[in-house]
Amino acid sequence: MSRHVNRWPDLSWLQALQQPESALAWTLAEWDHRVRVARRLRLLGRLAESVLGAGLADRLPQPVAHALQAEARLAQARCQAMLWCRERACQALEGLDAPLVLLKGAAYMAQRLPNAAGRMPSDLDILVPAAALPEARRRLMDAGWEEVALDEHDQRYYREWSHELPPMRHALHAIELDVHHNILPPVARDRVDAAVLLRAARPLADADAAPWWVLGPEDQVLHCAAHLINDSEHRDRLRDLVDLQVLMASHGAAEAGFGERLVARAGQLGLTDALVLGAALVAEGLKAPLDPTLQQAVQRAMAQRRLATLQRRFATVLAPRDPEAEPGLGVRLAETALLVRHHWRRMPLPLLVRHTWHKVWAQRRAAEAEADTGDA
Amino acid sequence: MATLAESGEAAVREALAGRGLWLDVGSALVHLRSDSALLAAAVHDVYRHFPLQTQGDWADLHLQVRAHRRWFAPWRPQVRLVCDGSQPFEPFPADTPLPMFEWGANWLIGLRLHHRLLLHAGVLARNDRALVMPAVPGAGKSTLTAAMAHAGWRLLSDEFGALDMATGALWPLIKPPVMKNRSIEVLRQFAPQAVLGRVYLATRKGDVAHVAPPADAVAGRHRPAQPFAIVLPHWQEGAEARLEPVTPGLACSALAFNAFNYRVCGQAGFDVVARLAREVPAWQLTYGRLPEAIGLLDALHAQAAAAPGAGP
Repeated sequence: MSRHVNRWPDLSWLQALQQPESALAWTLAEWDHRVRVARRLRLLGRLAESVLGAGLADRLPQPVAHALQAEARLAQARCQAMLWCRERACQALEGLDAPLVLLKGAAYMAQRLPNAAGRMPSDLDILVPAAALPEARRRLMDAGWEEVALDEHDQRYYREWSHELPPMRHALHAIELDVHHNILPPVARDRVDAAVLLRAARPLADADAAPWWVLGPEDQVLHCAAHLINDSEHRDRLRDLVDLQVLMASHGAAEAGFGERLVARAGQLGLTDALVLGAALVAEGLKAPLDPTLQQAVQRAMAQRRLATLQRRFATVLAPRDPEAEPGLGVRLAETALLVRHHWRRMPLPLLVRHTWHKVWAQRRAAEAEADTGDA
Repeated sequence: MATLAESGEAAVREALAGRGLWLDVGSALVHLRSDSALLAAAVHDVYRHFPLQTQGDWADLHLQVRAHRRWFAPWRPQVRLVCDGSQPFEPFPADTPLPMFEWGANWLIGLRLHHRLLLHAGVLARNDRALVMPAVPGAGKSTLTAAMAHAGWRLLSDEFGALDMATGALWPLIKPPVMKNRSIEVLRQFAPQAVLGRVYLATRKGDVAHVAPPADAVAGRHRPAQPFAIVLPHWQEGAEARLEPVTPGLACSALAFNAFNYRVCGQAGFDVVARLAREVPAWQLTYGRLPEAIGLLDALHAQAAAAPGAGP
């Protein structure tokens, strides 16, 4: 264990996300460093909303207050763009015979969780049952959404091997709409039965958010963990770890026996690895206490060499770097290992070969096209 | 604190290669580090009146401009811009480090400084009363701005008019104005005392040269100014200079739709622009020669200063 302690810098300053007064003791040089790190991790909006929301603007050094006001404004504009997109999507999908489920940031915002204020959403993620997907797509396109232009391979990729439609854009909306029918690809090693998720989904209590639904609380945690652990990019993704911590703490505090149900649900959905890895990283990196049942599951799992190695790799990539430094060899090696793992688990080998082949050629063709037009 | 010009090029090079140089451009503090001797020479020239600040606890932007050789084309060295550990743009040729730095810094300012509405406008002041010139590409805004900055007006900005959404005042954000192609010679003839950096030939924007902001502009970089007029410049070969009134609606859209962060600022941005367009008269300035144009603007200022309720 002592080997990975060094991987993590001191992140206790992130407590200012929950206890903004703690930031009043920071020196200007500390602010400088933390603002830079937080901006890169897409946590500066959250820090800004936390500190300004507590009415502390007048007690900050002026350049810091300005930087936080600027970032809070940016986050508010992005959140507003997301809410507007949500409203329009809702109108387009009205009367569709299926629950409309908000995922990720949109779900945290609709539930007013502590990680809602100051987010920087770049897309709106929603989930509809696979059976309703063609109808949902048709209605959205009637309402002005367009799919990004794709070649034949990419179209097939989304249709058969992915868990979402190609990203959709709308002339009026600054953010993309991602319509999912599952939380993980149907051809991945870890695959989930979307019907099981939908059965546990809940309508939102908040009238503002009607008629949207969210996943069950356990499934929200598992989705967050699976999204982080199974994704292709992990650099500067500490925010996902912070989200995971907030989700576990908020849902855990709201519902008795949450930890047991979470561990059981992970087993049922086949997402135990993602959960224990995510939880281990939250405990190690953010020094956050875990639910006792979850803690036991983590300890059992981490006795396996495979998971312990993975945890070290994730820690290497997720631990924030000094803002002046570019990633070193160790980080890039760990990233490559995780990228290979991502592809390996995302699709079966024949498909992977075909997909990789296509991507390499598409990239080469794009480079040639760019060279032809010049860089005018 | 001694200025860059007083300290000399070697001191600038040493600072850039060491802990860096903190350039206080008014609305932003820019921390720059670089191993490029060419950049040191250029910064020494165009930021000549700025203090040589070699230590700092805070900066709004931390930038590095680093020499870079690609293994497959070592004979074509490049410079790359690094901000907070990542490289936001493709590198530039190694002999154009100043355009790389200026472009990168401006790009980051537009992405970050949302505590003020960033008008894309030249702003100049006399007695702390500001003239706002929203940009229309090719209208000659930068040339006119640079010329006025050497003819009795205090330069607040060439690129970013930083508008305070609470008070309606404009804050300085002093970056070197960029002269392109013919305007380089035009400015040299109009203001022989102007200091221009070296001319970068055949960049993406043609030949460009940066104008050193004058000493009075640098000295006043923390002093805001209240606007008294909006002027939409329109350069026309050989035209007699004339001012024609513009409706507040047109002035409002010229200000809003050219602002870098208008969408981000939301209602506060709309309110402050609408207020500015309503309270301040707007004109279109058509001109062919700088002295005539500036003569009309001087008169406009004198008229506003004489008007009742114009303040000191």
